[in-house]
This record gives sequence, structure tokens and C-alpha cells, in this order.
Amino acid sequence: MDLPDQQALREPSQRVSPRAVRMWTVEALFSVAWLFGGLAVWWFLDTDSRTAQWVVGAILLVFSVGYVWIMPRWRFRVHRWEATSYAIYTQTGWIRQERRIAPLSRVQTVDLERGPVAQLFKLASVTVTTASAAGPVKVHGLERAVAEELVEGLTAAAVAEKGDAT
Amino acid sequence: MSEHPPEPEPESGPDPASGRVPELGWRRLDARMLLIHPLETLIRALPAVLAIFLARTGSDSNERWELIAVPVILAFGVLRWVTTRYRIQGGQIELRRGLLNKQTTTARLDKVRTVDLTAKVYHRVLGLAKVEISTGSSAKERLVLDSLRVEQGRRLRAELLHRVDPAVAALPAPTGAPVDATALDDPASGPLTGGDVELLRLDLGWVRYAPLTLTGLASAVAIIGFASQGLRAIGDENDTVESGARWVAELEWWTDLLLVVVVVSALAVVAYVLTFWGFRLTRNQLGSLHTRRGLLTKRETSIDHARVRGIRFDEPLGLRLAGGRRLKVVTTGLSHERGGSDWLCPPAPAAVVTGLARTIVPDEDAVAGSLQQHGPAARRRRLTRTVVPVLVLLVVLTGATLAWSWPLAVVAPLPILLLAAVALARDRYAGLGHRVTPDHLVAREGSLDRRRVVLDRSGVIGWKIEQSFFQRRAGVATLVATTAAGQQHYDLVDVPLERAYAVIGEINPDLLAEFRAPDCASDTSGSPQGSDAQ
Repeated sequence: MDLPDQQALREPSQRVSPRAVRMWTVEALFSVAWLFGGLAVWWFLDTDSRTAQWVVGAILLVFSVGYVWIMPRWRFRVHRWEATSYAIYTQTGWIRQERRIAPLSRVQTVDLERGPVAQLFKLASVTVTTASAAGPVKVHGLERAVAEELVEGLTAAAVAEKGDAT
Repeated sequence: MSEHPPEPEPESGPDPASGRVPELGWRRLDARMLLIHPLETLIRALPAVLAIFLARTGSDSNERWELIAVPVILAFGVLRWVTTRYRIQGGQIELRRGLLNKQTTTARLDKVRTVDLTAKVYHRVLGLAKVEISTGSSAKERLVLDSLRVEQGRRLRAELLHRVDPAVAALPAPTGAPVDATALDDPASGPLTGGDVELLRLDLGWVRYAPLTLTGLASAVAIIGFASQGLRAIGDENDTVESGARWVAELEWWTDLLLVVVVVSALAVVAYVLTFWGFRLTRNQLGSLHTRRGLLTKRETSIDHARVRGIRFDEPLGLRLAGGRRLKVVTTGLSHERGGSDWLCPPAPAAVVTGLARTIVPDEDAVAGSLQQHGPAARRRRLTRTVVPVLVLLVVLTGATLAWSWPLAVVAPLPILLLAAVALARDRYAGLGHRVTPDHLVAREGSLDRRRVVLDRSGVIGWKIEQSFFQRRAGVATLVATTAAGQQHYDLVDVPLERAYAVIGEINPDLLAEFRAPDCASDTSGSPQGSDAQ
């Protein structure tokens, strides 16, 4: 095969907002709270297995603290994005990482989304979909102004494109 | 309903000069559906009716509720026909259903990608066919006309698919426009009008591959399951069934096994014949592919050539060992979950399938060329994935056997399992491969369900590079080419990272140029332009 070797993609240039760390922390607290809620129900319904409950609770606590503390920071180090006039490029994940590239010529819809937690921190996320069900490109944790600017730019590019982008 | 009186069959054929689909006012489905709709509703409601009936046999009351239920069900069927209408207007086809909860489905004519005609037995008796028009890959983007007369459906299909390409207007109406009704009345022989080329016709000898595929086995198991339920219902009183069961139980174990193999194979053959009877693949002047198959339920699928993004060879283990494969089309507009309409070739000898693939995708390297392997890290990962679980099992069971003195028979089969795991891993690695040709991206993976996908470069609409924790440590990645067709994404599993970048760079050079790492930005500056954008 005659493919040119020694090429590499660099990381996308933009970091997400530092406030995203706090947003992910709150989101992590919510998901952990569900587990402790389950534990609490078990505690009150079943009064005979306190030892098991303490053990499970301890394990849960260790993992929760690890998750709530480590995940947002790790994520922040990984998450990056970049949009040029030609393509959008993101890097996401923490334990499992992923880079996605979509040429703007194939963009179909651009969504701006502000979940309840994101609103609390004045953040927004942008979702760019292509004609493929497997390929939505998401940028989480953007400053609202940055997100709006990004949406505007992408929408203009997507509108300029003719055809059904499949 | 009154504001839309049914049109009195305006037989306005399409205008061959413009190639446009003629506008069509509101129309109902074929009136013969008045026979089918109630029947279908009745069949669907049969469990409920039976339940009522059974519940009543125990009670003393003489009120015949089920006799009331039947006319109600029939009325629902009639209502369904009365409230369903469709029309073609303003470049759209529109379908309206429902009395209280009105539903309108519309599809833009220039977005139509595939048209399916399906005729179950009772449809065929009445000369009807269900027309399914699909404009996207999800079930929502589907418009079903259940049902029209076969010739009406065929004409609609010809009009819909041909108006996609204005060039057709200049052609002497290949399968479309002024319909030769006599030719269409005989679906068995079918019209090979004008420029239609027959690419494949089923050879009955191919049924020998039926028991070798999972599909064949699954249908056999389904038939057995269905039959056994029926048998259990009558089994209590029936001596033949009981004595038969006893006879089977008293046989040697290998005779039983043989019996099972024979029965399952026979059923798989039956399923193959039912599904693929009369299978024929044709291609018309415009390149649209057209398949036709089925013994009881007839099924015709037409795929606009502009929607085809590639082909996929399936080589499940059994089929591969017997020298067979099958071929599917990778296209936008066929919903994934409704399998079956993407078949281009049923399980058949490899040479036949490869030959067919060459005529559809004239790219020898992509269809039959050797592939680049993914390297030692990929092999190692295949081995850990199959061997480690078996080893864990081995350790746990050995420990348990020693600790609680379980019988040795528990551990005995594990070494064999271990060998099988190694063999599977090696075969899975042998299956991994990819290749980039001037027009296509080729990816192959799998052992028990090996498949080789030949995807048009222009069909790739984005990339993902996925790395799990262990993949990062091994320096490999899963490169995912996203596409609007077929499975929506095709993966190159465990390719070395630099190789993944090279593939992207080969197919979308400007994409890579845009985001290239600065230290190698100077290597190749004059990369060719825009192979991805059309």
C-alpha cells in the first residue's frame, strides 16, 4: 500500500470553558445520588443485613468520590474542539476517548442545547448532525456566547451547501 | 371525509416529455382492501377474541359477547379503508390516515430512495401489492400504501424512481410510463423491457447453503418453536405424538443428534426456498437495481443507483467453510431493522457472488484484492479477548473443584474450550483487514460473522477515532467511517493510530491537512483537493 505515513492529527485547538468542570461535577453528584438513594431504600427495607450494607456503602463511597473528583478534571483535560470554515473537529471522553471529524459540507442540522445544570453555569452544548445516524458531533461545556457564535457559523456553512449531504 | 370525494380513477399517465410524476388528487387504497383490512384486523385481534371465548365456556351466561366483537372488528377494518387517502401534489406524496387521531405522512418525491412492493398470499390472490416508499434510513421516513393493485404499484414505483434522474425523460420509457398492462399482469415471468439487464437468477442448487447460515438456522428454530407449541396443545390427548417422543428418547444420543441436524437442515432449506424462490436481480439503463423474490410472499425492491454507497459480502463461518458467501447492498434509504430488502444475492458459491460484485462495483482491488492486516497489537487484543475469559473460568472452576471437591467433569471440557478460543482469536485476526482503493474504502472483520464492506469514498461523511484505555496503551484505535448508508458506520478495528490517520489522509486529504500536527505539516503540502465534497 502506498499511503503516506507519518501523518498525525493534532489536538483540536480550543478548550471548553473551565466552568465545565463544575458542571460535570454537579452532574456526577446527581448520578451518584441515585445510587445512594437506592442504598438508603435498601437500608430502611432490610434491617437484617447491616454488615453487607456497610460494605456496599463503603465501596460505593470510594468509587463515588473518585468519580466525582477525577472524572470532571480528566474530562476537562481531554475535551477540545475546533471549527474551521471546512470542518468541525472534536475530542471527547475520559477513560474512553474519541475524536470526531465532520466536513461542514455534510452537516445537516446544528442544535444548541442548554440543560438545567448547564444553565446554572451559563454554559451550552452544540450538537452537529450529519446524515449518518452514527456521526453526531457534540461539543459540551461551551460559554453561551461562544456556543451561539459557533452555531451561527456552522448554520451559515450548512445552508450554503447544496444537495442532501449523503 | 366528505370534503375529499374519492377520485374516479384519473388514468393520467405520466408525461414522458418532462419525466415528472403526474399530480394525483386524493385517492383511496384499492377497494379490494375492504376484504383484507377486516381480515387482518380480525387476525390481529384473534387472541383477544379467543380469550373471550374461552372465558365464556366456563361461565353460565348466554350473552354472546364474541358475536358482538366480530362486527366491531370488521367495522374497524372498513373504517381504516375509508379514512386512508393519498395524493401526489406539489412534488410531494402525502398519506392521510385515521379518523379521530389524524396522521399525515409526506415524502418529497425527489428524496425517494427505495420502493418496495410486497405481496402476501392473500394480496396476491386479489392482485394487490403493498407499496413502501422510503426516503431516509429511519422508519419514520417511510410511507406505506397498503395496498394498491400490482400494476398501479409498479407504475408508481417506476415514476418515483425515474423522476429522480431527469435524463430518463429522454429515454424511451424503460419500465416506466405508458404501462403495458399485459406484461405487468404476469409477475412470474415479468417484463424484461428495454435496457434491463439480468445480473443474477437463483440456481436451485444453492439451497445446499441454507443450513449453513445463522439466518437459516434461526428460521428453522422459529418453525420448531412454533410447531412445538401447537404440538403441546394437542400432545396431551394424542398418542402418536407421545409414542413418537418416547421413540426419539430411546434412541442412541448420536442418532438423536443426527435427527436434529436433518430436521433443522430441512427446515432451513424450506425457509430458503420460501424467501428466495425465483430470486432475480436486474439492472435498468439508469443503473437502478431491482430484486424480486419469494414463493408465498412476493417481494420486489427497487434501489435508485444514486443511493447506492457500496456492497457488503457476508461470509459467516459455516458458509465460508463450504465456499459460499452472500451479497448485500449498502444504500441510503433502507432501514436497517427491516432486514431482507438489501439482499443482492442469497447464499451462493463464492465465485458467483464475486462475479456479481464485479459487475456492480467494477473495482477489482476492492472486490477481491488482498487486504492490509492490522498488525501484532490487533492480534494480541484478539487473543486476550477470547482467551482471558476462558482462563478466568478455568481458574475459578479449578479452585471450586479443589475446594468443594466437585466432579472432575466440570473442568474437563475447559482445555478444549481454551483451544477453541485460540482458534477463534486467530480466525478473527485473519479476518481483520482494510484497503483504500482509488474509489473505495474496504473493511473486513469478524470470524463467525465475517463481512467485507466495500464503501464508496464519496459515501464517507465523517470520521471517528475511538480509543479505549487499553487501545491507547497498545497504540491502536478503532477508525469509524460514518455514512448515511447501510449500518451508518463501518469500523476498522484496532488499526495502528498512524495508519488510521493515513487512511483519513488518503480519503480526505484536505481534512487531514486542516488539522495536521505542526511537525509534519511541511511534508506534503500539495495534497489533492476535495475528494470528499461533491
